[in-house]
Amino acid sequence: MKKRLYSMVFMFVLTFFFAAVVSAVKVHNEERIQTNQQVKLQRIILAVLGIPLHERATNREVLETFERRVKPIEVKQQTLYVGYAENGKQITAYAFAVGGAGFWGPVYGMVSVDPEASRILGIAFYRHSETPGLGARITEPWFTKQFAGLPLFPVEGDKKIFYLKPAGPGKGPNELDAITGATGTSRAVETFVNRDLDRFLRETWKLVKKG
Amino acid sequence: MVQVDAGTLLFAAIFTNNILLTNFLGLCPFLAISREIRSALGLGVAVVFVMTCTAVLNYLAYYYVLLPLNLDHFRYIVFIIIIAAFVQLVEMMVERFFPALYYILGIFLPLITVNCAILGASLFLIIREYTLVQSLAYGAGSGIGWMVAIIAVGAIREKVQKSAKLPKGLEGPALTLIITGIMALAFTAFSGMIQIQ
Amino acid sequence: MPKPLSGSQIFLQGLWNDNPVLRQILGICSTLAVTNLLVNTLVMNAGLIFTVCMSNLTVSILRNYTPMRIRMMAQTLIIASYVIIVDIVIGAYLPDISEALGPYVGLIITNCIVMGRCEAFARNNRPWPSFVDGLAMSLGYAAVLLIIAVIREPLGFGTLFGYRIMPEGFTPWTIMIMAPGAFFTLGLFAWFVRAKFPQTAEEKKQGH
Repeated sequence: MKKRLYSMVFMFVLTFFFAAVVSAVKVHNEERIQTNQQVKLQRIILAVLGIPLHERATNREVLETFERRVKPIEVKQQTLYVGYAENGKQITAYAFAVGGAGFWGPVYGMVSVDPEASRILGIAFYRHSETPGLGARITEPWFTKQFAGLPLFPVEGDKKIFYLKPAGPGKGPNELDAITGATGTSRAVETFVNRDLDRFLRETWKLVKKG
Repeated sequence: MVQVDAGTLLFAAIFTNNILLTNFLGLCPFLAISREIRSALGLGVAVVFVMTCTAVLNYLAYYYVLLPLNLDHFRYIVFIIIIAAFVQLVEMMVERFFPALYYILGIFLPLITVNCAILGASLFLIIREYTLVQSLAYGAGSGIGWMVAIIAVGAIREKVQKSAKLPKGLEGPALTLIITGIMALAFTAFSGMIQIQ
Repeated sequence: MPKPLSGSQIFLQGLWNDNPVLRQILGICSTLAVTNLLVNTLVMNAGLIFTVCMSNLTVSILRNYTPMRIRMMAQTLIIASYVIIVDIVIGAYLPDISEALGPYVGLIITNCIVMGRCEAFARNNRPWPSFVDGLAMSLGYAAVLLIIAVIREPLGFGTLFGYRIMPEGFTPWTIMIMAPGAFFTLGLFAWFVRAKFPQTAEEKKQGH
């Protein structure tokens, strides 16, 4: 009986001790982890808004630049990031999050549009679980560059703002190259980016235009 | 949130994203036991059962206990405890109802607890944000995939060691690894099969 | 009861004779997956070395107080705690690498080496020798995996540490980035070592 009691007390003390140590480490690093996440998101936003940031920019530089040039506004539960010119007066672009189900896991990205919401300026994907070398290629410049300059318009019925078609010549104005060998990921991206763009135009943009 | 339906996920977890051949998990017992097909089969079934159930249990523990209490960084400890407890339960059941199997498997049954694949499956389903049904399909599929891999490579290895004269040093782990590599290569051929809608 | 080995003997034993990866192919699960990039391998191994050494140390310190029946639970708890610490620290200071490593850091818990050394050595030996043993085992392990990474990254990505080292016209062997590449590389390496240095392999065979 005494052995049992000792065992229980031992495990309890051990668990308590290590739980405390782990929690202490977690708390101590919490702020850093939050900052990292914040900076990571801000880097992406600055990138799609076309605000230059040199490659080895430190966390502080990112935070400062973001503070200076971007203003987040809440529009109907969506956060819209407004990019301003150097003089802080003119609006140069709007950015907002896009995301949805990828093939293997959720995919998160940022898209930016010009101040009249007539064209896409850029897109970037910053989190996904797609297959390296295949679906993961959505982060590569050749893929994301295709979106630059794409005209935006509210679509009717079955139509889409853009299509991802198998790579090759002979494409229409709003047909982009899908990723060879990654049909699932390509279809997923086509679905949710179109959906989010459409939602932006129909709901968010109307409210922004009104003021 | 993920688009893939449970059936496709099950198929994919067995073939295109095999937890052993693609994600390298579950190799240790694999290299040790893949001698006799019958014991490999018994172990495989046990692993399928444990993996499926712990995938579901860990999903529930994570989303209904850890996250609400903001203790998600303790998930490693909680998951491994759940796995250990469950394996203990399975061990007791097997000893009671299938004593022959119990003697065949011996030490390998409790070793299921430290099988990287079991913990790995739970961790993957959290990262990929699967739903409960998807977790169930993924757990089952991963287990079956592991079993298929271990039996296939074991069978090949047995055959090779019996019929071929091997160069010095190749016998044992080196051979198993190379066979596994070829099998992994073969399985990548499946990646073109998955079609969505 | 054989004479207790000196520190340096233990070290050498772990590093070469008993090298866990080459001799016993132990514990490759968690790290082999990340050997397609050298920097990831380094970070992963650092985490493993820390975990093995600290776990060995802790288990050894507590060895006379730990009841026999619950020692597995206690070891698991200790190992898991150190792994969580490693995971948090990597996540805080190297966020990009942490994301690339994914769940594999957590899988250090089930890495056969960590638990294996605690069971086989640390629970019967004094703290300092246990620490040295852990250091040797994990360094031996790390060395092998680094060699694998040095083969996989240049062939698969054309880079080393992110810096391009292959000539411009080089077509990357994508197979090296994927699973089969790792299996082949490790398998061939193990074959080479076992063929070239059979003496130690023979000694090992006797021990197992």
